[in-house]
Amino acid sequence: MIGKLLSTDLLKMRRTGIWWVVFIGPVGLAAMQALNFGLRYDYLVQDRYASDPWAGLIGETGMFVPIAIYLAMTLLMAMIANIENRQNAWKQTLALPVRRSQVFASKFLACLIQLLVACVLLAASVAIVGLVLKFEGPVPIIDLLTLGAYPMLASLPMLGLMLWMTLTLRNQAIPISLGIAASLVSVFGASMPEIVPLAWPAVVLANGEAALRYSGFGIALFAVLYLLGSIHFSRKDVA
Amino acid sequence: MNEMMIETRNLTKKYKGTRAVDALNLAIPRGEIYGFLGPNGAGKTTTIRMLLGLIRPSSGVVQIFGQDLKRDRIKILRRVGSLVEYPSYYGHLNAVENLETIRRILNVPKTRIDEVLHTVGLTKDAKRHVKGYSLGMKQRLGIAAALLGSPELLILDEPTNGLDPSGILEIRELIKKMPQEQGITVLVSSHLLSEIEQMASSVGIVNQGKMIFQDSISNLQRKAGSEIHIALSDAEAAMITVREQGCFARLDQGKLIFKGIDDGQIARLVSALVDARHSIYRVEERRKSLEDLFLTMTSGASGSASEIAAIGSGAPRGAGLRKEVAQ
Ligand SMILES: Nc1ncnc2c1ncn2[C@@H]1O[C@H](COP(=O)(O)OP(=O)(O)OP(=O)(O)O)[C@@H](O)[C@H]1O
Ligand SMILES: [Mg+2]
Repeated sequence: MIGKLLSTDLLKMRRTGIWWVVFIGPVGLAAMQALNFGLRYDYLVQDRYASDPWAGLIGETGMFVPIAIYLAMTLLMAMIANIENRQNAWKQTLALPVRRSQVFASKFLACLIQLLVACVLLAASVAIVGLVLKFEGPVPIIDLLTLGAYPMLASLPMLGLMLWMTLTLRNQAIPISLGIAASLVSVFGASMPEIVPLAWPAVVLANGEAALRYSGFGIALFAVLYLLGSIHFSRKDVA
Repeated sequence: MNEMMIETRNLTKKYKGTRAVDALNLAIPRGEIYGFLGPNGAGKTTTIRMLLGLIRPSSGVVQIFGQDLKRDRIKILRRVGSLVEYPSYYGHLNAVENLETIRRILNVPKTRIDEVLHTVGLTKDAKRHVKGYSLGMKQRLGIAAALLGSPELLILDEPTNGLDPSGILEIRELIKKMPQEQGITVLVSSHLLSEIEQMASSVGIVNQGKMIFQDSISNLQRKAGSEIHIALSDAEAAMITVREQGCFARLDQGKLIFKGIDDGQIARLVSALVDARHSIYRVEERRKSLEDLFLTMTSGASGSASEIAAIGSGAPRGAGLRKEVAQ
């Protein structure tokens, strides 16, 4: 059943521009670094990161990854929820023979798939930037993939919150403002105490050894929020 | 006894202390077109939402196909098609894609999409984005979606909302065919008595969340009853004569109005009035229209029970209520 639901959710996303967001986010980040490294090639590649230009490129990109992930989670969930909210399609969707918890799960999976695609696109487009700039050494595939994946896992609590709020609240301005505010605050993640969840994506990028641990924290906190959201969604009255 | 497709017991929904639906006992046998009638805000949509599991009753039980909705919601909903209030749709998709989102979940063959689009007359516009549809077309798409899974029970909340007269006629004919051709039971809500009268076989009237009448349409019509109007020269003086004859009349614009009197009484009254030198201009029977009946039943904020008792004089509170208990 979850497969059928997911396939209908993907069908409902046709022509909504959601996949453009998935595409433009990572490609935009890579393009920014292409500009950064292209314009300051002599300083960045031959001086500052001369010993390992790939690590330099990944590090510079990483500064913008947390805010990009938070914004993506906010924007994607708002767009996914909007499909059902706009013409009040919930009452049709939930009067079908489906379990509400599975409807909730399907919306989550749709967003997760989009975020994973964005991670892969980020790895690919940053790799292309490095290759075009003729960086030496092998392409660090693992580092490129985890550049998006670890901070995404560490940011999952935000997705849990967005899922819950966008799918249950009538007023979408609340989750959207909250998401944007959190994205902006996350820029200062590196200077926040590590127990603040908003700091976690910055922590996993700065400290490779902590990456797995903080990704785990992210998943754990997400699981709690997901469960609460799913229960609320399953029990609430549908207007 | 006939098999019940929908049965509710003391179904109640409270919103902040007020009861939008108040101890409702619906009983809808198989094969009926059940007209669910009530003025704006009577609780029709709220009831229908509860029947579909969209909102939770504050108390009471819903049984559909003899199964408990709380326990077997998914199994039940697979056999129910519904349209709640104004239509739901995905504006950025065309009609075929809209129906496809439902078809994948119901697991019916793709050919059903063409069939239902044909049924509601949308075949020509099937490939247009639904946001460009007129309200009537969106409503038809909603009905097509309700029919997609070949349901045994169709629950339609104000399905002719926003349709033009020819659209209303078409949908009405479509609904009337359902029980005969496909054995579908239909619950259709409306705030217009005339509409229900033209398609329903039985009717339930709700007001302020309470069921005030539930019976066949013909019994409702019988209940409407009739009055005798006598127009004459001096109505006020005539009241004395009337009283002397042991009858009671209501005075209205120079006319005497009698309720529930038989032929013999009328004959005696008329001759007594002539003897008392009144000029009688007209003696006529007026059938109270159903619309009047509906208005009397549903008007006034105070208890409708007393009003219905007044209307159904002779059969207090009506056979409908007794029937409800029997079922
Ligand atoms: N979510 C809600 N919160 C508070 N009150 C509500 C809610 N939904 C409905 N009501 C109230 O319940 C009552 C019944 O509303 P409902 O929509 O069921 O009426 P209806 O019979 O469908 O009317 P209409 O013919 O206008 O569609 C109304 O007084 C309405 O204000
Ligand atoms: Mg309504």
